[in-house]
Amino acid sequence: MTIFTIDKVRKTFMNGEMKDEILKGINLSLKEGEVTALVGASGSGKSTLLTIAAGLQPASDGKVLFEGQNITAMNQEQVRKIRASKFGFVFQFAHLVPFLTVEEQLMLMLDVADTKLKKRQQKKEIAKILKLVGMEHRKDAYPASLSGGEKQRVAIARAIIHKPKILFADEPTASLDSKKSKDVMLLIRDLTKMLKMATLMVTHDEEMLSYADHVVKMRDGLVQ
Amino acid sequence: MNMAWKEMKKNKGRFLILGSIIFLVSLLTFIISGLANGLSQDNAALIKDLPNGQFFMTKEANQTYNLSKISNKTQTSVLRKHKDAVAFSIQMGFINEGSGKQRSVAFVSSTASPLFSKVNKGEVVLDRSLESDGIKIGDTLTNNQYNGKFIVKGFVDQSKFSHAPVAFINIDDYKQIYRIQEMQLIFIPGGDSGETITGLKSFSKDQFLNTISSYKAEQLSLNMMVWFLVVISGMLFAIFFYMMNVQKIGLYGILKAIGVKTSVLFTMMWTQMIFITIFALTISIALGQVFNLIAPKGLPFSLTVGTTVQLSLTFLLIGFVGATLSGIQIKQVGPLQAIQQGEV
Ligand SMILES: Nc1ncnc2c1ncn2[C@@H]1O[C@H](COP(=O)(O)OP(=O)(O)OP(=O)(O)O)[C@@H](O)[C@H]1O
Ligand SMILES: [Mg+2]
Repeated sequence: MTIFTIDKVRKTFMNGEMKDEILKGINLSLKEGEVTALVGASGSGKSTLLTIAAGLQPASDGKVLFEGQNITAMNQEQVRKIRASKFGFVFQFAHLVPFLTVEEQLMLMLDVADTKLKKRQQKKEIAKILKLVGMEHRKDAYPASLSGGEKQRVAIARAIIHKPKILFADEPTASLDSKKSKDVMLLIRDLTKMLKMATLMVTHDEEMLSYADHVVKMRDGLVQ
Repeated sequence: MNMAWKEMKKNKGRFLILGSIIFLVSLLTFIISGLANGLSQDNAALIKDLPNGQFFMTKEANQTYNLSKISNKTQTSVLRKHKDAVAFSIQMGFINEGSGKQRSVAFVSSTASPLFSKVNKGEVVLDRSLESDGIKIGDTLTNNQYNGKFIVKGFVDQSKFSHAPVAFINIDDYKQIYRIQEMQLIFIPGGDSGETITGLKSFSKDQFLNTISSYKAEQLSLNMMVWFLVVISGMLFAIFFYMMNVQKIGLYGILKAIGVKTSVLFTMMWTQMIFITIFALTISIALGQVFNLIAPKGLPFSLTVGTTVQLSLTFLLIGFVGATLSGIQIKQVGPLQAIQQGEV
């Protein structure tokens, strides 16, 4: 079932005096339980599209429809609420909060998503997810003491702990070696199925495409 | 979840540095303000400790109390009209101990009033500081312009004028020493009654204190130091939080990206600022009070609770303003900035 639609989205950046149209009318839809991979040359606008879809920056034109609502037309606070409770993100770098333990990172996300769980339930939920990403033994560790792959797995746990509807991932494996990249990809695919999320993932790595249900290629500001 | 607290726990060093700077600056401020207050007490406790009211001297005196000569006629009529009013004079002078040692004092004499020590002819009441210098009740003191002898009748606390201990003497003795019939000043206690007296100029207590030129200069420079320190500490707050915030721009962006409200980030900063300030102030207030207790007798130091509270509140307020101003960047940072910046 389609739960997320990108409809004729355009994005123009001002490059000095020159207008630079990076996205020239992108159409894309995401389905529950499916991973959609977004590929394309560097500078083709993949990250731009992803951040617009996630409500992190506005589109110049077009619509982004989630649960029937157009998030490009919402105000900042409305978008923030949706981001906090319905979307999850994994970035190229883990971007964990340096002064929180692994468990606390996830607790923060549950608070932000306003899940209203009791502390005990929170801990149970967190233990479950950490087990899923294979990090339960490091729940009291601070980010500084984790390896790159471990950090990325915590970041994935943080992105899904609040059971988002959509998972956005921008080159989640870029900072990992190929063995760890495969682990992370498998994890993302399995979680997508298990939690019935729709996942939109940018990747540069041809090898990772085998884990995706669809591959969308971007070129000259359009999808092919 | 209490992020403010978690961050402080994890980065103790950073916050301790900020705390200790605030501690040092506030302690310095307390001590200078204690000195300012102590010196002003030392300089003019005689006047400062009077209740609020109006002071009068002659217009011709041109704000210099020891040039003022209030005619007996005026004095009598004012004192008759205001039962609690008092006429008094202050003159700097010397007393000689039996051993021949000379001491500088401020001779004060007044008409009968509960506000001033009552002294009979040939007697003197001295400021307590002379007692610790070895003068005892019953000692006899002399003065070069006075024919008789003064017998020390007692001591009173906190009676200083122009950094000299006060010697209360009888009005007749005063007239004899200074060969003068008129009093310099009239004081009517109890707020500003708006009373005007022909030929006399009225001063509030503060105004009168400021006519004493040494007092004015001293207080001005000390108070300027105090307020400079307060301003500097405000700037320190702003700069320190600014630097911490700059380091955390990436973090703020990420937190915003995952949906943390901007107000939560501000609350986090305010919590930290208030906690550190209160922590640092508590220690410096405690030390300031300890200093107040153990300060050597000769050192004019007086740090009242009122002043401490007032300065502490100022510190809190200025810390809040400094932190908030430097925190405007929190509002401006966009989630994208951080994501594009790479690892935080
Ligand atoms: N804020 C901005 N202002 C101006 N130009 C921008 C801005 N953000 C992106 N661009 C430009 O838009 C184009 C697409 O950028 P984008 O980051 O989306 O590419 P990408 O496909 O993700 O590339 P990569 O694979 O290298 O990550 C680039 O030419 C970039 O310079
Ligand atoms: Mg990119």
